[in-house]
Amino acid sequence: MTRILCSNGSSLTRRSMLGLLGAAPAAASLTSIGLGASRAWAATGQLNIYSWPDYFSTADLDAYAKKTGVTPNISTYDSDDTMFAKVNSPAGSGFDIVIPGSSWIKQLAAKGLLEEIDHSKLDLGSLDPHLLNRDYDPGNKYSIPKDWGLLGVIYNPEAVGGEIKTWEDFFQAGEKPGVSGKIRMSDSGWETIGPELWLEGKDWNTVGEADIRKAAERLKSFAKHVKSFSGLDVNSLANGAIVLAQTNQAKARAAIGLNPKLKWVVPGPMSELWVDNYVLIKDAPNLEQAYDFLAFQLRPEIQLAETEYIGFPAPLAGLREKLGADVKDADLIFGGKDVDFSKLTSFVVNPETVGFYSQLQTEIQAAAG
Amino acid sequence: MMVERSYRGDWRDHAIDSGLVVWYLAAVIFLFAPIIAAIVYSFNLGVVNKQTAVLTGWTWQWYPAAWHDLSLRRSVSASLVVSFWSALISIVMGTLLGYAIVRHPSSKVRRFLAGFTYMLLIVPESVIGVSLLLFFAVTRFALNTVTLVAGITPMAIAVVALVIRARVLTLDREVEEAAADLGSTRVATLWLVILPQLAPAVAVGGVMAYTFSFDNLVVSAFLTTARINTLPVYLYGSLQYGPSPAVYAAAAAVFLFTMLLLALAVLIYWITRRPAAA
Amino acid sequence: MAVGRFSLRAGSISDHILAGIPTIWLTVFFLAPLGFTVVFSFGRSTFGGVELGFTLNNYATALSGFYGAAFLRTLLFAATASGLCLLVAFPVAYFIARHTSRFRLLAITLVLIPYFSSFLIRVMSLTMLMSREGLLEKVLNTLHLHAGPLDLLDTQTAVFIGIVYAYLPIAVVPLVVVLDRIPKALTEASRDLGATRWETFLLVTLPLSRPGIATAIMLTAVPMLGEMVIPKLLGGSRGVLMGQALSSQYLQSQNYPLGSAMAVLVLLGVAVIVGLLAWITKGFAEVGR
Repeated sequence: MTRILCSNGSSLTRRSMLGLLGAAPAAASLTSIGLGASRAWAATGQLNIYSWPDYFSTADLDAYAKKTGVTPNISTYDSDDTMFAKVNSPAGSGFDIVIPGSSWIKQLAAKGLLEEIDHSKLDLGSLDPHLLNRDYDPGNKYSIPKDWGLLGVIYNPEAVGGEIKTWEDFFQAGEKPGVSGKIRMSDSGWETIGPELWLEGKDWNTVGEADIRKAAERLKSFAKHVKSFSGLDVNSLANGAIVLAQTNQAKARAAIGLNPKLKWVVPGPMSELWVDNYVLIKDAPNLEQAYDFLAFQLRPEIQLAETEYIGFPAPLAGLREKLGADVKDADLIFGGKDVDFSKLTSFVVNPETVGFYSQLQTEIQAAAG
Repeated sequence: MMVERSYRGDWRDHAIDSGLVVWYLAAVIFLFAPIIAAIVYSFNLGVVNKQTAVLTGWTWQWYPAAWHDLSLRRSVSASLVVSFWSALISIVMGTLLGYAIVRHPSSKVRRFLAGFTYMLLIVPESVIGVSLLLFFAVTRFALNTVTLVAGITPMAIAVVALVIRARVLTLDREVEEAAADLGSTRVATLWLVILPQLAPAVAVGGVMAYTFSFDNLVVSAFLTTARINTLPVYLYGSLQYGPSPAVYAAAAAVFLFTMLLLALAVLIYWITRRPAAA
Repeated sequence: MAVGRFSLRAGSISDHILAGIPTIWLTVFFLAPLGFTVVFSFGRSTFGGVELGFTLNNYATALSGFYGAAFLRTLLFAATASGLCLLVAFPVAYFIARHTSRFRLLAITLVLIPYFSSFLIRVMSLTMLMSREGLLEKVLNTLHLHAGPLDLLDTQTAVFIGIVYAYLPIAVVPLVVVLDRIPKALTEASRDLGATRWETFLLVTLPLSRPGIATAIMLTAVPMLGEMVIPKLLGGSRGVLMGQALSSQYLQSQNYPLGSAMAVLVLLGVAVIVGLLAWITKGFAEVGR
């Protein structure tokens, strides 16, 4: 008994080890409090943004901080639906600016979560009219575009054995040996089912349950050719693990940078244009600061810098000409030279149908594995 | 390493002993490979500011870039703070719970506590996350660091409790009964008799609670606020558009920093032990 | 038969307080929110909100064929992955607990150190190591265990590798903690009586490590049921597991009542299974005296 009570044996039985193992993370966390946390709790001059990670150029944020003394406090989300769930709950209070995708703006507004934008405070004149006044937010009542992207297809022409011009070509190519099992499709129900709906001449925003289910049937039988529905890794495209993929133009640009043989196309008859926007949250604590920040972000030189940093084009009119000659594959930033905006549609989440889209996505993914 | 000499000492036993060493070393290499790879890739140039699997160039730029990305830096510091507090609470609660599951006098209470603990692990994290969000909404709890820490603790407590429980099951009851015979109170027995025997389990359970809290993703994604964001939430979000090597730099830096502190703690421990050994 | 100020038979105030502290904390931050989930499961969805009421529609949908199949598939997946994890972990734990004495702290620390870095970064690095032209392919090609490009990513195998990687220390720790306490005298006595090493292991060590095995299974198989991140990053999101199905109801469909109903069913189903297993194997019983 004495042996146990006054144990002097293996180091593992010393209680003091507890204290020391606790000391390490304790010291780590206490010192970390000084790591830039102080500004967030400053009483004045704050701005809270909810966005994708690494979505603002650090140089521009520094420039804004130097100009106004305010460093925006950016919290991040990993998907548009998490963003909606948070903003639609008390966790959303405290944010001034949020960066939602175009699909969710109508629902955010419907739930009364957004502040109407006072257009007298901001000048949208420098922006490309194609990106303004779109059907996900007529008149830009609630949102200002930040950057935009396209749903297209990147493929290896050798493996696919030809060119892809329409979504039908995509499906046909996918069934060939050498391509089958090396395809990536989107993880969002409407981007997966959309192509089939477009081939049938339907509009994914107005279509009903029966049509969605019918279109999904084709996807379910196609699913066995698909390798991945997760986020596309450009390395897989570069090394040939994936030869046919639905993706956005920035990922395509990165992949072509690694493997110039790859080709990008925005297939007909229709495809998707998505826009990430600035919106103001109702009862935002720092509304004036938010307008000031937005005015800063809308400056042409800032939009140019942001485009170069994040790889997605800002909505600035004439941006293509303004890009420096040293920017690689600059056309790809815009999805190629001849993007036809009349053949692009933006998805708007509709509570009646979005459940079907996501349920069918789960079933399509199940059919694949 | 002192390999235990078997009774017969024949070649079969040596083969088994060597096999165990090889297996152990293989496991350690398997566990270390990704973190070493992450450190190497934090120096990779990448393409158009994004990380690539092939090394395209060698550069130091990502470390200052990670430092300047205020959002990333704050998420690191927030993660460290949150996981420290969560680990502390979980160690205390988990030890109490794990001990009570085995030693509480009433068998009904023991069964209830055990079932409760298992339930903490069974419920999927997305369910816990949404329930907490809605719970705080209805009860009008303001969301902040406290609610984030509190939301992460249940699962960490369960982990600690089960580890402690496994250890308590192997303890000798008679020692506790002897202590009781000698007039000790329950609390005193716990502190002077049980805890020293549980020390390794508590230490290791604490480490598991800390790492669980640090890496917590799903519940944290629901409970982060405008003011506090954690590293896993940041990292998971970066997967959508592709992470830049800066996040690898940040992760490598945090890892090396934590290792430094641990080494320091071990050093202090060895130094303070010397007088006892003399 | 105790005489002192507390008896190990009757309950005392301090017993209740000690057990009560964690219980109260967990009731507030776990049980109460969970109660909300149960209540919501009977409500109607208002797309991101819940209209309270009483309807069994959600349960009807949740019990449909598709989700039933998904649940069974998830159970199989978790059982397999957990078994694999234990197979890998047991020799490691055995080595640490019974073959290292002076270096035990170092041995177990080595296993735990990688866990001080961010899990997601390690999984992302694992992805790069397992990709084509990655390190693993080079190693396997050099050792002539594999020829040509390695198509490991986005497969079920990759998911199992990732899961074993993620849960290895969680399985090793309870095993070490229990194996550590098996007196050497017992195994030596077994050898003295003529048993081979393997017989000793099978008849003495293994049964005595039951609490550790049961805990290891509990800590791995059960959380694996809700695993979402690894199947997505390493498995290409193919197939459907309960974790993803549930999360999709909450986030993509914004259907809280249906998600809640599915969650309650999962909870009940797993609780029943765990209870059955524990009762059959009596794995959670004391092995001390």
